[in-house]
Amino acid sequence: MTFLIGMVSATPSPAPVPGANIFTSPFLLSLLVWTPVIVAAAIAVMPNPRGRYDTLMKQIAFFTILGLTFILFIAYSQFENFIPTMQYEEKLAWLPAIGVTYHLGIDGPGMVMLILSSLIGIASVVASIGVRERVRAYFCLLLLAQSSVTGAIVARDMFVLILFWGASAVPLAVLILGWGGPRRTGAAWRLLGYWGLGTAALVIGTMTLYSVTGGQSFDMDTLLKATLSPRIQLAVSIVMIVAAATRLPLFPLHGWVRDVYAEAPVGVTVIVAGTAARLGGFLLLRTLIGAMPAAGHILSPLLAALAALTVGYAGLAAMRSLDIRHVGAYLSMVPGGITILGFASVAPLGIAGSVLSLFTGGLAAALIVGICATVAERAQSRSLLVLGGLAPRMPKLAWLLTIAGLALLGVPILATFTAEVMTFFGAFKNQPIGAFAVAAGLAVTAVALAMLLRRVMFGAPNPEAPGVSDASLGETWYLGLLAGALLWVGLFPGGPKIPGTEVPLFDPGLVNQMGAGISDIASPYVAPTPGAAQ
Amino acid sequence: MLLPEALVVTAAVVVLFAARLGWLPRTSRRYLPQVAAVVVLAALGVELWAGATVSTFFGGALVQDRFALFAKAAALLTVAVALAAADWTAEDSPALGVAMPLMAAFGVMVAASAADLVGLWAGLELAAAAAAVMVALRRPDLGLRLLVAGGFASALVLTGLAFLYATTGNADLTAIRAVLLNQAPALTLAIPVLLLLGGLSVRAGLAPFHVASVPAGVGASPLGAGLVVGFVAVAAAIVAIKLAAALVPVPAVFVPYAQVAAAVAMVGGGAAAVAVRSPRPRMAYLAAGQLGWVVAGLSTHFRAGVAASLFLLGAFAVAATCGPALLGRAEGGEPAVAGLGSVRPARAAGLALAMLSLAGAPPLAGFFGELTVAAALAQSGNFVLLGLGLLGSVLSTVAAVATLRVLFIQSPLEEARRGATAALAPLTVFSTVGSVAFCFVIAAYGVFAYPIIGLADQGAEALGLR
Repeated sequence: MTFLIGMVSATPSPAPVPGANIFTSPFLLSLLVWTPVIVAAAIAVMPNPRGRYDTLMKQIAFFTILGLTFILFIAYSQFENFIPTMQYEEKLAWLPAIGVTYHLGIDGPGMVMLILSSLIGIASVVASIGVRERVRAYFCLLLLAQSSVTGAIVARDMFVLILFWGASAVPLAVLILGWGGPRRTGAAWRLLGYWGLGTAALVIGTMTLYSVTGGQSFDMDTLLKATLSPRIQLAVSIVMIVAAATRLPLFPLHGWVRDVYAEAPVGVTVIVAGTAARLGGFLLLRTLIGAMPAAGHILSPLLAALAALTVGYAGLAAMRSLDIRHVGAYLSMVPGGITILGFASVAPLGIAGSVLSLFTGGLAAALIVGICATVAERAQSRSLLVLGGLAPRMPKLAWLLTIAGLALLGVPILATFTAEVMTFFGAFKNQPIGAFAVAAGLAVTAVALAMLLRRVMFGAPNPEAPGVSDASLGETWYLGLLAGALLWVGLFPGGPKIPGTEVPLFDPGLVNQMGAGISDIASPYVAPTPGAAQ
Repeated sequence: MLLPEALVVTAAVVVLFAARLGWLPRTSRRYLPQVAAVVVLAALGVELWAGATVSTFFGGALVQDRFALFAKAAALLTVAVALAAADWTAEDSPALGVAMPLMAAFGVMVAASAADLVGLWAGLELAAAAAAVMVALRRPDLGLRLLVAGGFASALVLTGLAFLYATTGNADLTAIRAVLLNQAPALTLAIPVLLLLGGLSVRAGLAPFHVASVPAGVGASPLGAGLVVGFVAVAAAIVAIKLAAALVPVPAVFVPYAQVAAAVAMVGGGAAAVAVRSPRPRMAYLAAGQLGWVVAGLSTHFRAGVAASLFLLGAFAVAATCGPALLGRAEGGEPAVAGLGSVRPARAAGLALAMLSLAGAPPLAGFFGELTVAAALAQSGNFVLLGLGLLGSVLSTVAAVATLRVLFIQSPLEEARRGATAALAPLTVFSTVGSVAFCFVIAAYGVFAYPIIGLADQGAEALGLR
């Protein structure tokens, strides 16, 4: 417990971080956002007679994301911990007539999301290596989707946020339409419909804030730091919850989940479940929790109820489903519920847990939907009535599915454990009923996972099932990356140290990064110390 | 300086006469559009260079202010790109195909510079007549239908203008505004404004008054469709903006009408775009939906809202006029453009951007314009209209993505099965340059929004709005 509290109220780093200040760029975040767009444009105009350079295009996409990840890790390494202000900020006037600025910046939670986005980006490209048709268009769209997600993370102006938030839907929908399964059309329309509703809600919320703050600026520093009446806070917060619920997704605005995760190509499911969906939680952190504490307090029972309904529904639906990709889709809703439970706690520990759960939940959700899709492909069937006893014939996938299941449940040594413990410890104090309901939902999820593992992997083999094969090298790499990241952060949430010292090995640790921003975000929710008023 | 107008109208008249007198050789189809595009670009250069100087002409009948500069620059850029991007093998007459867009541009320029009611009406009619000619070239029946509907619209507009003149005792827009400063809203003013808005809605093809313009646009040649769907609507919107600025002292006489018209157009346009599958009518409905946003900005009746409308109108003009031109022969419906991304990538990219921009999808020109209008609506507290607009945009985006799937995901028709209605546009350097230029304009409109919206704001200020 002391360790957990220490994460939230961390003190300044005792020693300079090796590697600090070796890399500076005033346009670092723009580089991360726009490089994929430029590369996508280059791929789009690249000559490719009869698909001769398809492989090269895949390599270009992969090395672009890898290179950007490398740059990000340098930035991560020299990120100033424990500073509650934005870092790597860029601010240029854009539409001065209505107060729009091209304002980018990140704090601790933003850095955590950026790292998640990079890892998911790599996993997504590797998961897409098997694409054979219209390779150019596929990787162009994938890079555009990656760019829009990154842009939404680093946006510090609500207009810019709306731009990137809305822009992510179009390439993803086209990817589903073009490379999805038999019911791809319905899946794409559902995605566009629900995410369009979310974008509309975000626009209305933003415009309300813009209107009540005098219509001078869209900058988050202005909109989200203004003193608003509780009534306005409540109205805007409800709209923002709707926007977030369509993305994360939360019950009852989860209608796109089943079809999209079941029909989209594997690489697309990874990016949607891993990062695009997590943007919903990130939006709530920025707009509701970080900016409207009065509404946060009032709406915390609603958030807890949404969390409980989401986790409970996900578990029950997964239990009843007979399609392995549908099971994966429903299970991927669980981390979103955990994230919202942390916000519902309106306590620093729970909020910190939610931020960590954005990272860990993104990895776990991407892993479960990716692995279910891969199993379905390798076993040539999606039906749980057909799949059975596959573990001996696909040992790698059996292990990875087990890890994914354990990650969803938040067992120790996996990163989700730290996040869920922080979330639940925070929530049990302020929202005990909601926390118990979510815990009960997790128990149902555990049953659903156990049924899935027993039936598909460790049950009796089905002699009439089609032939199966284990994961290919590419599939192993992308699933291994996701599972490895869960293990790495689970084992070293505060970052690895040089043996015998307190000096970080190469980074200050993921949860320490969260310190830069969390205390500022959570400060309105800190309970007053007894006697402090005197 | 009226040199840009002179250049454009002279070029149009010379081409018309040369064609009539048989001076244009058969090979002119190849170079005539290029020459015309160069002339229009020269006019645009002159406009941007000399147009910043405020001046009046013909005893104050025409005024060169920032509003005129913005609208004329947008019109000239639109025509230049449309001439370059069009599929000239699909045009019925190269001479008329070049001359009529130039005439329409001249009409828009006259309306943009007009300082009185007569100039506004003349500009609007000129643009509409050019579009009717283009439609009648291929489909005389549709041309006649457009002419009859246009005549009806013209009658409404003329009656409204006459009533407005009778009520205020002035034809000059500034004088009308000055007279109305001391007047309360009255039925004698509300009725002519209703007639005016009705006529302009028919002219612009605003839902539900699109019954004439959309079928005409569908049946016309690509450039003809662009003129009907885009340019005439732009002319009507310019007239509406100038009239609204004159009527600002008594907003109650036009704001309710504008709000209803905007709501119906935004939602109706989006819903209709989802309902149809063929790309050309879909584009026409998307345009009708976006025009609703322009009217919504106008309904705010303050400077930021009108500036936002003007900013969006620039994006609308380029996408709605050049989109059909890029579409080429689309009489074959969806199969005609299936897989265009693999056989004509630049044209397909242009089409995709046109569709998405008209739908208001980020991060393209239409998105910036619509969100600017949304900000103005929020400032005026009109969240119902904002919500309806967003609903229309979501529907429009769904429709645009459906066409994107056809363009990039489906396989192209085999050459043997194409036929005349689905023939591919020839791949020429000129058309490729046009398509790329269009893509650049639509994609860069937001990037360069700083100076563009600044000019739009100055344009709104020039109309006397504070």
